[in-house]
Amino acid sequence: MAEAPASPGGGSHESGDQSPRSNVREQDRYLPIANISRIMKKALPANGKIAKDAKETVQECVSEFISFITSEASDKCQKEKRKTINGDDLLWAMATLGFEDYIDPLKIYLARYREMEGDTKGSAKGGEASAKKDVQPSPNAQIAQGSFSQGVSYTNSQILC
Amino acid sequence: MRQAGIYSGILSGGISGKTGPHSLPLARIKKIMKKSGGGGGDDVKMISGEAPIVFSKACELFIQELTKRSWMLTLQGKRRIVHKEDVASAVIATDVFDFLVTLVSDDADPTINILHHQNGNTS
Repeated sequence: MAEAPASPGGGSHESGDQSPRSNVREQDRYLPIANISRIMKKALPANGKIAKDAKETVQECVSEFISFITSEASDKCQKEKRKTINGDDLLWAMATLGFEDYIDPLKIYLARYREMEGDTKGSAKGGEASAKKDVQPSPNAQIAQGSFSQGVSYTNSQILC
Repeated sequence: MRQAGIYSGILSGGISGKTGPHSLPLARIKKIMKKSGGGGGDDVKMISGEAPIVFSKACELFIQELTKRSWMLTLQGKRRIVHKEDVASAVIATDVFDFLVTLVSDDADPTINILHHQNGNTS
């Protein structure tokens, strides 16, 4: 194995990333509990309730899930001498690690995103190509193509959050 | 009006509101990705713009699956409130969640478990 398990990638970011929990800000290690709670509630029937400790456990599990998948994808990139982890690497890692059920929904999600991204970048070529994919653009998508042709990028869509 | 609404319509995964089209904040996902960095994958420093987007949906699927499995155990115990123990049991009962077993069985210090897993998974 080429990797050195003793230093799990901490050098790529600020120093002290792997330090004990007390030294790392909570909001850097976990996704917001409100978002997690909302997603959990959607998965339950109306009479189901969720205890706070269950939410916190799921919150920890999600961060571990991200790390688990990222590590596998990262190893693949390293072996292939690539510097950037992309969406396909993550899909590959999920399939490898037993989450193949997620692949199809994720591909659809990504295809829709790319379609939108292609349109909003004003790339006619990209828009044409993605429109032929099996993802059916909703009526809203048609509106979006008109409204956002001035070039809304990833960055802008985050600002809109 | 608010443009994020239109995005939410396209990307059905989003919850209308703060996170725009995605149900989880992308910047936060990216931070967690950078922290994991792979098992010593110092060479992979860059994360494509698409990667956190994939994760925003993947985490949603993951949370839903874990919650549904936990709920089954809650019901088996003739309860209506999902507790930590249900989540832990669901993790232990599900093969693909094996990587979480140490985390849920020793909730006291998950940091150690995360490190332990990274080393274990890549060796």
